[in-house]
Amino acid sequence: MDFTFDDEQKALQDAVRELAARNAPAEAHGDVPVGPAAHDPKAWSAIAEMGLLALPFGEDVGGAGASTVEVAIAATELGRARVATAYAEALTAAGLIAFGGSDEQRAKLLPDLLDGTSLVVPAFAEPGRAWSLEAYDVTASGAGAGSPRSIRGSEAEEKLRGVQGDVTLTGTKEPVPYADAADKLVVTARVGDRTGLFLVDGATVSGMRVRLDNTPAVALGSVDDAARAIRAGVNLGILAVTAEALGAMDAALPMTVEYLKTRKQFGVPLAAFQTLTQRAADMYVSLELARSTVLYEGMALAADPYDATATSRAKVVIGQSGRHVGQEAIQLHGGIGMTAEYAVGHHTARLTAIEHTFGDTRWHLARLAGALDDHEQVDLLT
Amino acid sequence: MRLQLSDEDAAFQQQMRDFFTTEIPADLRERWASGGEVSADDIRESQRLLNAAGLAVPHWPVEWGGKDWTQLQRHLYLQEMQAASVPPPLAFNASMVGPVIATFGSQEQKERFLPATANLDIWWCQGFSEPNAGSDLASLRTEAVLDGDEWVVNGQKTWTTLGQHADWIFALVRTEPDAPKKQMGISFLLIDMKTPGITVRPIQLIDGGHEVNEVFFDNVRVPADQLVGERGKGWTIAKFLLGNERVGVAPVGTIKRALASAKGYAAAARSGEGTLLQEPLVAARFAELETQLAALELTVLRVAANSRGEKPDPASSILKLRGSQLQQDVFEFTIDIAGPASLEWQQPDDTDLQSWAAVATPTYLNFRKASIYGGSNEVQRSIIASGILGLKG
Ligand SMILES: Cc1cc2nc3c(=O)[nH]c(=O)nc-3n(C[C@H](O)[C@H](O)[C@H](O)COP(=O)(O)OP(=O)(O)OC[C@H]3O[C@@H](n4cnc5c(N)ncnc54)[C@H](O)[C@@H]3O)c2cc1C
Repeated sequence: MDFTFDDEQKALQDAVRELAARNAPAEAHGDVPVGPAAHDPKAWSAIAEMGLLALPFGEDVGGAGASTVEVAIAATELGRARVATAYAEALTAAGLIAFGGSDEQRAKLLPDLLDGTSLVVPAFAEPGRAWSLEAYDVTASGAGAGSPRSIRGSEAEEKLRGVQGDVTLTGTKEPVPYADAADKLVVTARVGDRTGLFLVDGATVSGMRVRLDNTPAVALGSVDDAARAIRAGVNLGILAVTAEALGAMDAALPMTVEYLKTRKQFGVPLAAFQTLTQRAADMYVSLELARSTVLYEGMALAADPYDATATSRAKVVIGQSGRHVGQEAIQLHGGIGMTAEYAVGHHTARLTAIEHTFGDTRWHLARLAGALDDHEQVDLLT
Repeated sequence: MRLQLSDEDAAFQQQMRDFFTTEIPADLRERWASGGEVSADDIRESQRLLNAAGLAVPHWPVEWGGKDWTQLQRHLYLQEMQAASVPPPLAFNASMVGPVIATFGSQEQKERFLPATANLDIWWCQGFSEPNAGSDLASLRTEAVLDGDEWVVNGQKTWTTLGQHADWIFALVRTEPDAPKKQMGISFLLIDMKTPGITVRPIQLIDGGHEVNEVFFDNVRVPADQLVGERGKGWTIAKFLLGNERVGVAPVGTIKRALASAKGYAAAARSGEGTLLQEPLVAARFAELETQLAALELTVLRVAANSRGEKPDPASSILKLRGSQLQQDVFEFTIDIAGPASLEWQQPDDTDLQSWAAVATPTYLNFRKASIYGGSNEVQRSIIASGILGLKG
């Protein structure tokens, strides 16, 4: 195993760092927007132009033929600068299509997504429900004789396979980040007792809520393949957000260290209080463990895009370290860390959002707990 | 030792519960329970109802509206108030400036300020912290110079909570710049916020809310008789006030309510074919938090039952430390229960989200403050280390 970046990867890192610095939001005085940031179209175009959306996909569908390691490198830099775009969401949607769509759908849909012509985001969450890769209340129906009816089992699949435009979806997805900026959505919906993937472009969107009411949809691939496609697509999204979180921590720690060196109380810099420097050291430990785990996640997904174990472990490590680093960054800054005019709180807010995106720490721990029987001991090198 | 409350205390507890749940309007209590932006009118209404019943300032001297309660009774009163989601009396009035004036003020100041303070006819804010004087409060620089029978105040205060609603500010100011120790040159001054030369600038916090402010003083003229206690003895008053601030700081009742609500949310949130509360990791976390909360409450009761007299028990630092941590833990757990719903930060008109879920993340972020203000958790640990364990440095 080797964690060093090659020259091309270093060049990518530099280029994205530069792009991100140019597109970083500023903390201004007065009325500073806090909370979920709106999609930034300017940053989005720059990201698309640099080819960051295309990184992990094959050249046959307009991809760059790089790998998930490059995605991790790029997303880390975007997170460090707090660039707010649907990067992780767009990669996830593209992944769902790449892993779940038919050859024809891939060839038709992906090029526009990967060069940024079209923004497609995934719609998983359902109101009042914990995170799940399954759909429950959003259902797919095939058009019957004049009136739509719910379809079940294999009959359903017959109908859904290839009957493009003959499927409709009903139910609510919320929250769907960036739904209001997207051209199309990839929606998970219930087909009998299973979950399928559908492409939708006529939903009623208001903020992060997506209403589907017999809304025409196109089935992506077959329901048989959907579960695996969902796993791989979401893995890609998790890689992007965990790397973004790594970037956010990588920014919050040096800010905190700098603050401890310069802020004076009791006639000395805060760094004179060992209790604080020791805690900064603990933050550093969290950060570096997170870095190893995320880089490993990037390499593991390059080898096997379906690797749920590496992905869930990364999500857990990032969830816990993000909380640790984010909370301590605010605490060690004192009051100033609580203000909207200071970047540390924004990083912490983003880390908090990431923890609840694509499954939280508990969900991923539960998934890992369910797979304990698969191995006797942790084995990373085989 | 005794496991149960005495009959007398149990009757007292019931009496409090009855009052809070029947005499304070339900809609007001519901608004308070649901969190979100603090409404000044609700706080005023609540305090006036409490004051009319003699329940706004029970820990003041009897002469000024206090009750001669035991510490345990005072705890039961707070506990029941929090359990019923009654907006508590404004801390700046009831726990801070009121006891200060009652203890250190002149007879004239007592008559002038105490009744209005108890009834929230004057809304007070606290002007202690400055940009360069946070944990190191004694290094404050806002100065007051005597000119005839007026103090002329210049300087800046910051983090002034709810200063936008305040009628008056109680401030620590430097009156003796040449004192041999920086603690010795400080005085405690009462200032009308309408005095010319005062500017209030809002500070936005990371939850998007506006609860703190910067307050600037530019040649603000304050009548000399608004200085409390002795000139240059403000530090003694400040220590008295901060000690009081820490008493009753473990909002056990509030945390209990928040945890009970969270349990309700988890029981309603669907997960797989069941609910989130049925997920083993969620259930275990609830059990853990309830157990830790029980340990805190028992400690509160033990400290309350033990403390005699006016001096705050140094063990109150345990309560501030652990109370703020547990409160933060519960809000942290609440966003986890909201899960994906926590990504939304407000309750838009068009939504299927429940309002608690939409405020989960801002509330969690907002309460990071609890371990910073009122003496940060690091400062509390220092007090425990030096004051209880005898460890210096
Ligand atoms: C929401 C909010 C409301 C507030 N409301 C008011 C108000 O109404 N009125 C008012 O006067 N003030 C108010 N404060 C100010 C509050 O009391 C200060 O923020 C607090 O005293 C910490 O000071 P500071 O922010 O300057 O942080 P600093 O003192 O700079 O501390 C930064 C970090 O260093 C740590 N630290 C500092 N000194 C030491 C030490 N010796 N040993 C170990 N660790 C140390 C702190 O614990 C903290 O983690 C409020 C603050 C907040 C956040």
